[in-house]
Amino acid sequence: MAKDIFVFVELKEGAVRKVSLELLSKGKEIAGHFSSSLYAVLIGHNVKGIAATVQPYSDKVIVIDNEGLAEYRWDTYASVLEGILRKYNPYAVLGGSTVTGKDLFPRLAARFGSAIVSDAVGIDFHDSGIKIKKPLFGGKVISWITCSEDSAIFITFRPNSFGIEKGSLNGEVIEEQFEAAKDPKMNLAGTEKHVSEKVDLQEADFIICGGRGMKGPEHFQVLEEIAGIMGGRVGASRAVVDSKWREYEDQVGKSGKTVSPKLYIGCGISGALHHTMGMDTSKVIVAINKDPNAPIFHYADYGIVDDAFAVLPVLREALKKTREEI
Amino acid sequence: MNILIFIKQVADTEARIIIKGDHKSLEIENKYNMNFFDEFAVEEAMRIKEKNKDVQITVCTIGSQKAVEALRTAIAMGADRAFLLDGSKAATNDPLAISRILSAFAKKEGFDMILCGRQAIDDESANVGAMAAEFLGIPHVSAILKMEVVDGNAVKVENEIEGGRGIFEVKLPALFTTQKGLNEPRVPLITGVMKAMKASIPVVDPATLDIPQEAVAAEASKVTILSYESPQERPPVKIIEGETPEEKVKNLVKALKEDAKVL
Ligand SMILES: Cc1cc2nc3c(=O)[nH]c(=O)nc-3n(C[C@H](O)[C@H](O)[C@H](O)COP(=O)(O)OP(=O)(O)OC[C@H]3O[C@@H](n4cnc5c(N)ncnc54)[C@H](O)[C@@H]3O)c2cc1C
Ligand SMILES: Nc1ncnc2c1ncn2[C@@H]1O[C@H](COP(=O)(O)O)[C@@H](O)[C@H]1O
Repeated sequence: MAKDIFVFVELKEGAVRKVSLELLSKGKEIAGHFSSSLYAVLIGHNVKGIAATVQPYSDKVIVIDNEGLAEYRWDTYASVLEGILRKYNPYAVLGGSTVTGKDLFPRLAARFGSAIVSDAVGIDFHDSGIKIKKPLFGGKVISWITCSEDSAIFITFRPNSFGIEKGSLNGEVIEEQFEAAKDPKMNLAGTEKHVSEKVDLQEADFIICGGRGMKGPEHFQVLEEIAGIMGGRVGASRAVVDSKWREYEDQVGKSGKTVSPKLYIGCGISGALHHTMGMDTSKVIVAINKDPNAPIFHYADYGIVDDAFAVLPVLREALKKTREEI
Repeated sequence: MNILIFIKQVADTEARIIIKGDHKSLEIENKYNMNFFDEFAVEEAMRIKEKNKDVQITVCTIGSQKAVEALRTAIAMGADRAFLLDGSKAATNDPLAISRILSAFAKKEGFDMILCGRQAIDDESANVGAMAAEFLGIPHVSAILKMEVVDGNAVKVENEIEGGRGIFEVKLPALFTTQKGLNEPRVPLITGVMKAMKASIPVVDPATLDIPQEAVAAEASKVTILSYESPQERPPVKIIEGETPEEKVKNLVKALKEDAKVL
């Protein structure tokens, strides 16, 4: 049987999320190895126009466009995906380890009685199949996992685990119809979305995090400015969130979000284990702390020992200049 | 109302973990706790019990005899009953097996509401809640931040969704996974701790539950850990030199551009 690879394409405000393009890029490599096909699965309402975004990255694009799929809910999405997966029988289904992916994939894996590995960070070939790389214990240990192949393998990956390759395919679009079945016992009474222009914290390439050393919420302004210049996001330590200087959704660490941006800058953050567990897979880490013995320097690639208030305005101007040069 | 809570005993974040020479097993320092996110589940159940009549709180875990400690912590917080589901023969690394056993136990005990943590901090999977709900054929809501019992058979919850909050009205029975922000878990009182020490905790053999045994046995695991390895060590930090903040920033930007190539 052909080992076809499926990628569940996630949308955010009508656009394809970065993590989905990362997974399609990796998925192409896997399908290439197995000489099988890579399918992008695009579901939602008024999404036909979006297919063009994923066509260059996929061999085939399955589109299910249905009014009942306008808002994500596990019940409707799982019922539609179930139909697709039963029809096409893929070898593996990849998705992002995002709020949506973490809600949807386990529900489906249980329905299929399938192997599931979530929050993975890598994938490789093993025997005639695959092995999956997944951190355990907050990143203290890395495990490699194989899965039983008797039904589709479900895997969610942390955003920023893979690079985005330039897409040169022109995937055929296949429109499918499956009923979006609602669970009658669940009624969505409403949503509150803070419409934000900002990138998602977990998907950001650049994160500047403030800790208690920032002294108060007003000092996060300069961090916001730097994040703005870099097209990234501001994060925070738990001490900051507990003090209500920032929202919980900004929290990086064990009890917050796990991030792995290309560049992480921590300012006035001590580097407690609970915090570093959420960011130690960042590609490059910079720490700004006035205490040369702060534990964050054990995790950082580059350190500045100085007062963050003296460094940050200068850093903002310097980064602005690098952006203008491009 | 019968509230059932799934809790997991996990290695403390500070616990030392050594990868054994064969890269196939781990040695974990003897420091364990109730999973961080499960405390919110126990606390929320207590708050429901304090506000409503006839609420019974049952906690259960799949684990070794040692996991009884986590169950005692839950009793100390106020849970009424606890059960240890013997995990010695089960595929405890496989969320499919764990959720099959938990759901079979839930079916046997009966429940109106199930609470469990958003994710376990050892495997960080966030799988078991939604999977158990699927096996039970009940709805679930992940990562709830607010809960209100509307009447005996429905609740209103708010949860974390992509870019904001969702508000759901859910008919019971249903399962909810709990998240930081839902409440502030209480520290058990000494009287609670005394009660927990004395509580007798029955051990349930999963073989007595109504599940296809071959689906949950260790050999049946759908996931196999091939090997463990240490995370890649970072080279020691390069402290950026400079007399003034201006100089340091200049040198940092240079390093980020030329060495690290991230600017
Ligand atoms: C179960 C559990 C879960 C947790 N989860 C998380 C989590 O998800 N995320 C998280 O972040 N924490 C978490 N924590 C908390 C964590 O252990 C630390 O307490 C927290 O990260 C400390 O935050 P901080 O570094 O901002 O503050 P502090 O530890 O107070 O550090 C402040 C730092 O700022 C420096 N500083 C002060 N002034 C200046 C200045 N002017 N310029 C430069 N530097 C300055 C100081 O030298 C110090 O190093 C958790 C804890 C527990 C028990
Ligand atoms: N062995 C177990 N016994 C009881 N509950 C568990 C077990 N494993 C996981 N859970 C529950 O499921 C939640 C999510 O776990 P996980 O899917 O492993 O991240 C945990 O917070 C617990 O509430």
